[in-house]
Amino acid sequence: MNEPIRFAPPYQLPTYDFQPPADLGDGPRRRYPIVIVGAGPAGLTLACDLAQRGVASVLIDEDDTVGVRGASSRGICYAQKSLEILERMEVGDRAVAKGVAWSLGRTLSGDHEVYNFNLQAHSVSEQPPFVNLQQFYLEWFLVDRIQALGLTDLRWKSRVTGVEERDDCVVVQVETPAGSYALEARYLVDGTGVNSVIRTQLGVQTHASRSADRWCITDVRFAKPLPVERWTWVDAPFNEGRAVWQHLMPDDVWRIDYQMPEDADIETISKPEVAGARLRAQLGADVEFEFVWIGPYQYRDHLLDDFRHHRIFFVGDAAHVVSPFGARGGNTGMQDAANLGWKLALVAGGQAPETLLDSYSAERQPACAENLEVTSRSARFLAPATPAEHTLRRAALNLAREHAFARPLINTGRMSVANDYPVSAWLRQGARSVQNVPLVHADGTPTSVMKLLRAGTRCLGLWLHPDPDLAAQAAERLRGLPIDLYAIGDGCALPGLRDEAGVLARHLGAPPSGAAGSFFLVRPDAYLAASVSNATPDAIHSALQTTLGLVNESIGAPA
Amino acid sequence: MNSQPNIPDADGFYAALVKAHGGLTDAQSAELNAGLVFLLANQCGDQSTLLACIDAARACLGELQS
Repeated sequence: MNEPIRFAPPYQLPTYDFQPPADLGDGPRRRYPIVIVGAGPAGLTLACDLAQRGVASVLIDEDDTVGVRGASSRGICYAQKSLEILERMEVGDRAVAKGVAWSLGRTLSGDHEVYNFNLQAHSVSEQPPFVNLQQFYLEWFLVDRIQALGLTDLRWKSRVTGVEERDDCVVVQVETPAGSYALEARYLVDGTGVNSVIRTQLGVQTHASRSADRWCITDVRFAKPLPVERWTWVDAPFNEGRAVWQHLMPDDVWRIDYQMPEDADIETISKPEVAGARLRAQLGADVEFEFVWIGPYQYRDHLLDDFRHHRIFFVGDAAHVVSPFGARGGNTGMQDAANLGWKLALVAGGQAPETLLDSYSAERQPACAENLEVTSRSARFLAPATPAEHTLRRAALNLAREHAFARPLINTGRMSVANDYPVSAWLRQGARSVQNVPLVHADGTPTSVMKLLRAGTRCLGLWLHPDPDLAAQAAERLRGLPIDLYAIGDGCALPGLRDEAGVLARHLGAPPSGAAGSFFLVRPDAYLAASVSNATPDAIHSALQTTLGLVNESIGAPA
Repeated sequence: MNSQPNIPDADGFYAALVKAHGGLTDAQSAELNAGLVFLLANQCGDQSTLLACIDAARACLGELQS
């Protein structure tokens, strides 16, 4: 009675040529300041971030296209912080234009809504809270941008087979279609993903565990109109009381992700006719559809204790893997890259000491530990391990239908956020992300926090109504340091920014009254590193020195 | 966590609780208790008190099991 199952034609993805590098020839081994392995979201973001700052790097990838071959990572949700990073690198408009923006999530139990959230409520950013975009588009746009910037040595079809640590570099063995070679990296970044050969070779402990929970993704096109919202069912009546996800991607492709019995046979559940039957149970027997991809999966997690191993930095899935609930995979990798990029740029340029690079793990490891805890809680809610857990969940769901208080207990994923960073030697107050607040230059030209951070690698010093004399002294005192000073408001010699509705001042945490003279130090990755009330040139200088790890070096230095 | 008597009519509360379980299967009783925990937790609304209560309840469990 049913029509035959149709599949959409495969996407035509760009391919990139292997160019034999000069390293393949005779002669001494070449040394490069920064070598990144793995052109996934984390590696590409880092290469692009560096290039945007004017810093060259080598990017090595074993494939010759974007996206993932086989049934592996296919992220779709990009969070506001990731979109802001893209905006800073001038890829933001393209990602948002192609993507499907959303901010509303609904959770259902049976046929009842039991929880919803609207992420727009807390946003002051130019970027939407979330954009859905197939991972290969994200990677494609990043490669295009990297090529346009022209500073990255992209080495496709090149596989890293081993590394050897030296005092002053890492020797990297690379296999290519034209033979093998070795190069030397002053700093090596491992973005090769969950099964990193580099990490395995170094024997770095991952604390891995695997879940028994089993899912099957169905990416599918159909004509039936559905709301452009994130819908999740804890216990869908059309999926035998198990969970279901429903999300729209670009090109009218829906991602529907079905929780399966733990003992389900992978071959069986991913058969097109079986997936088709699931879809008809959800959307109606007569729905017309074509599949784009069917992918069964189990999830796992791991987290390194330290994301730095001497001269090697781990980013993205090589450093951390969590369950997919809440989109804390690819987004976290991109945010790792944005955290590391400016530090590598300043250290490579001799503007910050090598010790600044230690702050990468000091900030990102706790962020990822937090992500692991958050996602593990969601996974546990979605796959209760005992009859007692089923009872607790059933009670919470029943209460949530009647009582508002129980709705926050319903956990089908807490969406990715820009994690706060803890207090450290570089962050005396800890740090939190600064959103991409729209602003206006004194001459009326529109700008934004990300636009102000686009050129080079410079901090942003935002000073609310500074005293004109202090402003002039500070400009003199900070000359030659990587910071751009702006006055919020007119009346001094510093370049001025208008924040007429006070959105930026409130977002930065300025007191509603008496904020004049407050100074906010925003790092090149748009994290608020320090707030200083009644700021003086000395206080600003000191805050910058701390942020860049220059404190000890500056003590007793000749004037 | 308040360990001192704070329920005005302890016998009355206990009787109401027993009555609420009347006629329920074990599974329904378990669900009733779970729902009650969530409702009461929200009345309390203090995270450290809630965590201390979980610990205290768990600590008393061992003595009852034998």
